[in-house]
Amino acid sequence: MKSDKAYIMILTTAVMAFAIVFDTFPRSRISELEKRELATFPKYSVDKLKSGSFTSEISSWFSDSEPFRDDFMTLSMNIKDYLGLAASDDQVTFHASSVPMESSKQSVKSKSIDQDENRVVGEYENDITADENAKIANAGIIIVGKGDKTRALMAYGGGPHGCVGYAKAANEYKATFGKKVNVYCMVIPTAVEFYCPDKAKRCTHQERPTINNVYAHLSDSVKAVDIYTALGKHAKEDIFLRTDHHWAPLGAYYAAMTFAKVAKVPFRGLADYNRKVITGYVGSMYGYSGDIAVKKAPENFVFYVPSKVKYSTTYINYTINRDYHVTGEGKPVRGVFFAHFRNGSPGAYCTFMGGDTKITQVRTSTKNHRRLLILKDSFGNALPGFLFYSFEEVHVVDSRYFTKNMKDYVRENKITDILFANNIFKAYSRHTYGAYTRFLKQKGDTFAHNI
Amino acid sequence: MVFSDLFFLFVFIPAFALCYLLAAVIDRKFSSQDEARCFRAKNMVLVMFSLVFYAWGEPVYVFLMLASVFINYLVGLMINKSEGRNRRWALAAGLVINIAILGTFKYLGFFCGILADVGLTLAVPKIALPIGISFYTFQSISYLVDVYRKESPVQHRFVDLLLYISMFPQLIAGPIVRYGTVADEINDRHVSASDFAEGSYRFFIGLGKKVILANQLSEISDQFLVNGLGTLSTSGAWIGIIAFTLQIYFDFSGYSDMAIGMGRCLGFHFNENFRHPYCCDSITDFWRRWHISLGSFFRDYVYIPMGGNRRHQAVNIFVVWFLTGMWHGASWNFIIWGVYFGLIVMLEKYTILRIKDKIPSPVLHLYSLALVVIGWGIFYFDDFHSMQTFFNAFWGNAKVATDFVSESALLDNFWLWVAALLFCLPLRHVLSEFVERSCNERRVLKQSLFFAAHLSVSLVMLICSVALLVGATNNAFIYTRF
Repeated sequence: MKSDKAYIMILTTAVMAFAIVFDTFPRSRISELEKRELATFPKYSVDKLKSGSFTSEISSWFSDSEPFRDDFMTLSMNIKDYLGLAASDDQVTFHASSVPMESSKQSVKSKSIDQDENRVVGEYENDITADENAKIANAGIIIVGKGDKTRALMAYGGGPHGCVGYAKAANEYKATFGKKVNVYCMVIPTAVEFYCPDKAKRCTHQERPTINNVYAHLSDSVKAVDIYTALGKHAKEDIFLRTDHHWAPLGAYYAAMTFAKVAKVPFRGLADYNRKVITGYVGSMYGYSGDIAVKKAPENFVFYVPSKVKYSTTYINYTINRDYHVTGEGKPVRGVFFAHFRNGSPGAYCTFMGGDTKITQVRTSTKNHRRLLILKDSFGNALPGFLFYSFEEVHVVDSRYFTKNMKDYVRENKITDILFANNIFKAYSRHTYGAYTRFLKQKGDTFAHNI
Repeated sequence: MVFSDLFFLFVFIPAFALCYLLAAVIDRKFSSQDEARCFRAKNMVLVMFSLVFYAWGEPVYVFLMLASVFINYLVGLMINKSEGRNRRWALAAGLVINIAILGTFKYLGFFCGILADVGLTLAVPKIALPIGISFYTFQSISYLVDVYRKESPVQHRFVDLLLYISMFPQLIAGPIVRYGTVADEINDRHVSASDFAEGSYRFFIGLGKKVILANQLSEISDQFLVNGLGTLSTSGAWIGIIAFTLQIYFDFSGYSDMAIGMGRCLGFHFNENFRHPYCCDSITDFWRRWHISLGSFFRDYVYIPMGGNRRHQAVNIFVVWFLTGMWHGASWNFIIWGVYFGLIVMLEKYTILRIKDKIPSPVLHLYSLALVVIGWGIFYFDDFHSMQTFFNAFWGNAKVATDFVSESALLDNFWLWVAALLFCLPLRHVLSEFVERSCNERRVLKQSLFFAAHLSVSLVMLICSVALLVGATNNAFIYTRF
């Protein structure tokens, strides 16, 4: 029949069009959506062929690096979005009071920290998003609210007795460097602690008990920096990014202010900073959650550049392999601390130092003989910019990339203060403890091939 | 390789189509001289691509499949040449070899584990299960028995037997195609435009079932039955297992649709494997609609030869259902699952089936679906601790009756649930009957409606599936592991 032939013609054309695009167009190499490099064509070996991994990697490569990948992914998320019901304002909410959880019994008010020790973190009550709609997206990510206020939260799985290694690492640093160096321990909570609606509280654990546990395990001479309370007080402000897993620079500002108080160093308010805005920012949670609602709720990425202090930045850049192991170290080079990304750029959080794979050394016009070393993950990147008024040197080392001997580094650079500033997920990881203690023992130039 | 893989759709299929069309040209060139050569080049291309398809996932076990087919080829010839006792012996030898291969690669570890559990110190061998071994072994058995019974002619060409066993559309997850079904079509088949259009449409329907429905439903079932098992609420247990109930249907029937569709495009007519099983009104009825090729295999090659309903029917039923469970995997839960259905089918014979006319239809449907869903609960968990945790929650013995995760799974996938439930019904059949009735004598209008519907459905399935498959990693069909 004619209609059969027409059907075959049209369908064959459609399939062939896809085949031509997928088989001949340049393949995608980076996913801006997921902020990662895409799979490359696998290396051949007889063993891999025999085990079937070579062919399965070819299939994965083909699927992962399709031309126009992010566009197809966006379409895919749109399709998934249409499968759900649009949230309505009068949706039934399940309040945490109906669920037997520690949090529901305790949430009363936000009170100040223990005045002497900073060791007991105060409680926080979420009165911002407690009654918001929520849903569970990919990887257990909680999507809160709707429209341009949509917020994606990474559920926390840690327990109240965990994260001791992080405290132990700080204790070991204090024991190693003694009285000459002040050691501070800061655990950075994440957005889920402040913005999780009551109905979704069963999907995540509380971070406060873990933070308290860390501080309880610190030796007397290590100073705890409770930023939980400060962040709780300012939770109504944009202290966490809605579309990214990181905090916002404003959150880092309040954390830096708290730290400055504990460290007894000067600190300047936002009036002494130039406010910069990158509009249309959509962060990592879009790729992680696979939820189109996140993409439809872009936000402003606001950061602050100190205007009344002189500073120069030197980078020692690392090269890393595909497994994120350091393979080489560059010579010190001068660079800018604050990169400026275009509006809509998904990489805006890399504003600070341009990323993690480096040692950063900032020399400021502040003269108080205080030199700070920050040991951090990517959350910590937003901190140093607020401490140029407080220290004459700020050194920044990532817990994943450091090849020198820490004792030598601290001595050679005359470090007076060491701040552990990791987010709670990273602090909880035993790898972080392992890395920090390894830094103390490792010889210089510890690259991937000689670890 | 799986059908719902971009590499299969846009590299394998176009390459195969190109080579197959070239082979068709070669065949046409020779067909005027020698009629028998008419399909040789096409069959050779089909075999070569089938071997690549299988080797893509099983680069070593492809040789096991080749050896198995070669042995069955020889045994088939022996059965054909001999008569009487020798013919029976040849068949018995063939059956023993096939069962021994299946037993070694699928069940040896399981049996050794049982012996180790009862105190015998045995090393439990770790043999990886070759993909599709249950399917191609059963097809081999079907070939030998059909030749023995003289219901089908013996295959004199090894390549043609290899084609029947290894044909990629049905190789790794069925349907279990009986030799007699396709024996004639191996060397004498015709593909009309209508065949090709119907086959393509069926393929896209299957692709959509798998990628749009089954894969999304698997995220829900995994959320509750794998990741959320530790904190499972009662509503979570129900939602999780209902999601799996729908997932396994769309996964397996989607595969069968794609297999039947591709077969049709190549000129093969495979039998249907599903007839809307969740519309059943008894468990007996369910098994007449679910995985029909497996049920009919056991009926024709085990149940009836054992005596059927003529002698010791209860034993026959028990054996068939024990084997049905065991066919699915070397694990106790599959055996329990098989025996569970065996007992229900046996009980139904003396109860419900006798008074079916007096029971309201909705009650029968609800009764059947409830038992099917419980059955999937047994099927899903291959460790008893998880199964116990699940059933505790399922029967209301959970810390909480309902929670936010359940609410989210329902509301945030609302249209997925609606679509999945609707597509369990014979929707296409009802709609096409409606169009037939409405159009009555207006043939052109009817044809236009069907054309528009088929085309738009196929294009939507194709585009949505491609979008959903980009970046997808965990996309295997459930039945490929059996």
